[in-house]
Order: sequence, then C-alpha cells, then structure tokens
Amino acid sequence: MSEGEEKTPDEQGIALPTQATANELIEPEPKSESPQSIASPDTKAKFNSKVDILLKPAGDAPIMKKKKWTVDRTKKICWVSDFIKKYIKNEPSESLFLYVNQSYAPSPDTDIGSIFDCFGSDGKLVLHYCRTQAWG
Amino acid sequence: MADDREILRELWEGKIPICFQLAQEEIYTVDQPDPFFLLVPRLSYFPLVTDKVLRHMVKFVEQESTDEMWLEYEGQPLKWHYPIGLLFDLYGHQTELPWKLIVHFKKFPEDELLHCPNKEAVESHFMSIIKEADALKHRGQAINNMQKKDHKALWTGLMNDKFDQFWSVNKKLMESSGEDAFKSIPFRIYQVDSIPIQKLFKPTDDNGETLTLRHLLEFLNVDIALSPELSSHHVITQGIEPPLETPAAWMSEHLSYPDNFLHICLVPRTENES
Repeated sequence: MSEGEEKTPDEQGIALPTQATANELIEPEPKSESPQSIASPDTKAKFNSKVDILLKPAGDAPIMKKKKWTVDRTKKICWVSDFIKKYIKNEPSESLFLYVNQSYAPSPDTDIGSIFDCFGSDGKLVLHYCRTQAWG
Repeated sequence: MADDREILRELWEGKIPICFQLAQEEIYTVDQPDPFFLLVPRLSYFPLVTDKVLRHMVKFVEQESTDEMWLEYEGQPLKWHYPIGLLFDLYGHQTELPWKLIVHFKKFPEDELLHCPNKEAVESHFMSIIKEADALKHRGQAINNMQKKDHKALWTGLMNDKFDQFWSVNKKLMESSGEDAFKSIPFRIYQVDSIPIQKLFKPTDDNGETLTLRHLLEFLNVDIALSPELSSHHVITQGIEPPLETPAAWMSEHLSYPDNFLHICLVPRTENES
C-alpha cells in the first residue's frame, strides 16, 4: 500500500485521514516468503519489532484484496480494527468484530505483539473480522 | 485443586475500602458533594459497583456537558476493564486506606480508557478473557464443552457475589489433572507506565520439572530487566506477595482472577524500604 503502483482503484478510494501514518506502519508483505517465517514466533519476535498478520473475513464481511500485512508489535487491536474498517469501507455506524483463534475477541487496547506471541503460528497471526458477533 | 479451597474463598471475600470524591473543577453547584465511601470486592469491576456513586455525584455537575463517568487515582485514569484488585495492586499498593479516587464526568481520556456503555460490555469483555485463558490452558476445549447457561453462571456468579455458583462452573476451567493439564499459564504482568506483558509460559519445563513464579519472572527478564534476586520490585498479585518458589500452575489454579488470568504487578521498591 505504500507503493504507488500497487494501489488499486479500491484502495485509492479509501478516505484515510491518517493515510500517511497507515502507510508508514503497514507495509506490503514481502514478495516471497522469507525463510525467517519458519522460526518460532518467539525467536522471531526477539529480532523483529514488526509481525505479520493475516486478515480473514467471517460471515458476510467483505474480503480484503490484500490479506497479509506487516504491523508494528506495539499497535493496538483498535488500530487494526480501524484500519480494516477503512479498507473495507465500513459505514462509521457499522461495528466490526475481531477474533483471535476463531474463539475470542481481544480487548481493543491489547497490543498485537502479545497476541502474536501467544497465538501466532507459522510466523504469522491470523485475525478474523466480521460485522456481527461470530464467536460468543 | 480442591485441597486449597479456603484460599479461593479468602480471595473472593477480599475487599478494598474506597473514598470517591468528585473532581473539584467539575462541581457546578453551590453545595459541595460529600465524599462517597464503598467497600468493593477486589475481584469485581468498577462499572459493576459504582451505580450509587454515579447517582450521588451526578447531581453536582453541569448536566448539559457530562460524559461517561470515569475514575482517576493521582492523575492516573483507571481502566474499568481491569479487575479492581489489579488496579489497586498496581497503583495503590502503598497508599493509605481508604483508597482515594476522583470521579469525573468531563474530559474523558479517550487515549487511555475504553468506553463502557453498559454492564453488557463488561460481561462480553469478561467472557472474552475467560475464553482466551481457556485457549491457553486447554486449547479452548473446556469452555467450548460448556453450555450457554454455564457461561452465564460464571458471569452472574461474579456479578451477584455468589461464590458457589461461580466455582461450580469455574472448577471445570481449572481442571488440570491428566489430559487436562494446563498447556500454558494465562498471565499478564503489569507495570506502571508500560503495556502489560503476556507470553506463552508452560507450567513445566522440557524435563517435566515444575516451573515457579521465579522461573516465570526470569523468563520475562528480557522485557522487564529486574535486578538479580528480583529484589528491586514487589511482585504482587491479589494483594499478596507470593513466595517466588510458588509453582506457576498452583498460582494459576488458586490466585487467578475470575477471568482465569493471573494478573501480576511489579511495583518498584522505594529507597527507604530496602
């Protein structure tokens, strides 16, 4: 998303008041799987202040063209949630729910790094998003 | 786990005396509001116990420009989604009692606090943490095998201060014998002015040796830089400083909050203490 040529009409349409910040902090995934991603989350975490997250829709939530993003460990769940809302052009009034492990909704002020350390696997953290409560 | 049941009861009954005062700059009436005193359960959450405080204080502020009520201790806004005992251990550990808190209806600190629209928000937060804890302990199997009414019993047990109702269900989540042995220990470590630390930590090492609170803190030392022998900090949970040789699994079963997490605070020792 930070590279102009990667922008699709879809992405250009996003009204992102914080677009500059978003561009700085979310980076396009590497073109090829880096060998590092086979390291355990813990080992990798020590050397990296960023982690990979994979965003998957659930229920009737629209799919995101680009699913894998690299995010700063210190970013909060609410930040990811705001990012997805803008990306899928949610109405401001619509809510968005994020789930870890397809089981629980982390508190909005939880940092991504902690969740990654506990629930990341294969070098990435899978987060499901949906517009209605999906799991519990 | 049943052996040390009296500890569970003791923790359940732990209470903190609190003196609530309205922020001086928000008093709109000529009459000054009296402070409001409450004895609140350590294991509860502020939105579950402060209805009376709200009704008492709200009469003294300008009605047109009030926000959601929020609480402050010495400049520190208090997160409603942390158990009260955790907030006290973290911020109020060395204070005199009653714990003096300031009540606000204005300038809601959006950056620091989550909004709490109603008690259902507390319930859904609470259930989410329980699910997360069980995902760590039993890969979610214990909580998923329960019926909706069991989930409800956990919440109403806590909300209505019914120890037996809560524990009749919670004991299934704390089951740790045989195949149910905890995969990892749900814990969070708190320090003032930094984000909580949470990582995967198994109750035993690769050789099957029991790991203790000391092992847990040493495992985290990369992040928190404690002094040798850990003497630089008080290690507090549930208002007590457990011996560092306490097995982590025992702590998880007995000293966890109702949300099934161990909430452990690291409070620096002051100079005149050592």
